[in-house]
Amino acid sequence: MIMNSQTKSQFIAVASITSELSAVMVVAKEISLAAANAKAIAFRAGDKAKGFQPITDFINELAKETIELVTNINVYALLLYRLTVNEYRRTAAYNRFEQAGKLATGARYADSMQEPIAHARTIMQDCQRQFKRDVTQLLGQLEAVMHHARAARVIAANSRIEASQAGEYLQSLQAVAESVDKAAHTIHDNVQRCRIALSIYRNS
Amino acid sequence: MKMTKIYEGAHQWVMFGRDENKPDNIIDSNQYIVRTANKCLLLEPGGTELFAPMMAAVLHHAPVEQITDLFASHQDPDVISSLGLWDQALSNAKLHAPALWEGYIRHFGCESVEYVPIPDNGETIKIESVELQIIPAHYLHSPCGFHVYDPVAKILMCGSVGSAFEAPNSPVFVERFDVHVEKMRYYHQRMMPSNQAKRAWIDKVRNLDIDILAPQHGRMFKGDDVKRFLDWFDSLQVGTGI
Ligand SMILES: [Fe+2]
Repeated sequence: MIMNSQTKSQFIAVASITSELSAVMVVAKEISLAAANAKAIAFRAGDKAKGFQPITDFINELAKETIELVTNINVYALLLYRLTVNEYRRTAAYNRFEQAGKLATGARYADSMQEPIAHARTIMQDCQRQFKRDVTQLLGQLEAVMHHARAARVIAANSRIEASQAGEYLQSLQAVAESVDKAAHTIHDNVQRCRIALSIYRNS
Repeated sequence: MKMTKIYEGAHQWVMFGRDENKPDNIIDSNQYIVRTANKCLLLEPGGTELFAPMMAAVLHHAPVEQITDLFASHQDPDVISSLGLWDQALSNAKLHAPALWEGYIRHFGCESVEYVPIPDNGETIKIESVELQIIPAHYLHSPCGFHVYDPVAKILMCGSVGSAFEAPNSPVFVERFDVHVEKMRYYHQRMMPSNQAKRAWIDKVRNLDIDILAPQHGRMFKGDDVKRFLDWFDSLQVGTGI
């Protein structure tokens, strides 16, 4: 059976979540590392970086939460992939059944095909509905990751301000703020791409 | 899909094949049904591409809910890759297929159909009052394969043995054996790996009372052509692909 473009792009959309998210995972770990680094610098800077210390804890927390979220989403993405395979199988069967029903026109027992056709249609539609439901839920989870990324960027901006008061530690703390900002930006972009790929399948 | 009734008694045998809508790049195959009063056995259901025309053809003889049994002589896709579709269409069916291939054939999709494994030494299956002998045909060509013998109809469904590749729309029975031989030679020499297995099979089959030899590809043999085929196969050296 030849895949139609809708099925093909559905497979690609689901597969792309996993690949985009593995990149997000790498970046989230980088943030976590940057936070640890910042904490060490802030510790050395003592009073000069007083305002920076709670920020590093916050960054670290955020990175951890992002990793956790992404781990959960990955499990979910795998389920969604299986659902896509199943939906493909069910749709293929339904199309074949319909084809058989048409070819059987005039056959003595042609009517007996109606029940399997109706049954296959119901199952196919259930699969489609479930896929849409799951996509909607996944989009929600991705939204949460983006929310974290946005928060990280705000923190990065605050960090820059705090860093400016850290005297000789200014440069290294600014570098930390920079790397957090960059990482958050990457996460935001990757997750956004996932969301765009998936959004056409959501429940309307 | 061309339908040919090859036995009509208390039960029936119908041969299906020469599907005119089949894509050119997949090989033509023969399917058979054994129809009893309330049941229908589908022998060598065929590949995925064949599912819809095959189902439509069967509906001339039996309603879907009476397709209760499937049989696959071996694991090849042209024999049984449609399983995943039958599996979704039939609510109460069994697949009789080699025990050895169960884990392989299940790759085609087998959730609601019950897989009934055939042991290496064969068995008898009963479709209502019809008893069919499942005869081992290992290494012909598959390492584990079975043929179906109906002693009442005197038909041997002989899977890959006797197969030939024909032009579309060719007749369903061999008409001139000497001409037909050339369409079988290469296939048998190349696909059948063992002279020993061939010998054992011929010895067994010579003891059966056969009116029709019904292979999975090409034409069927009837009457004197059955013996002609056995003699020809007997003298053929196989396993020539090395
Ligand atoms: Fe084969």
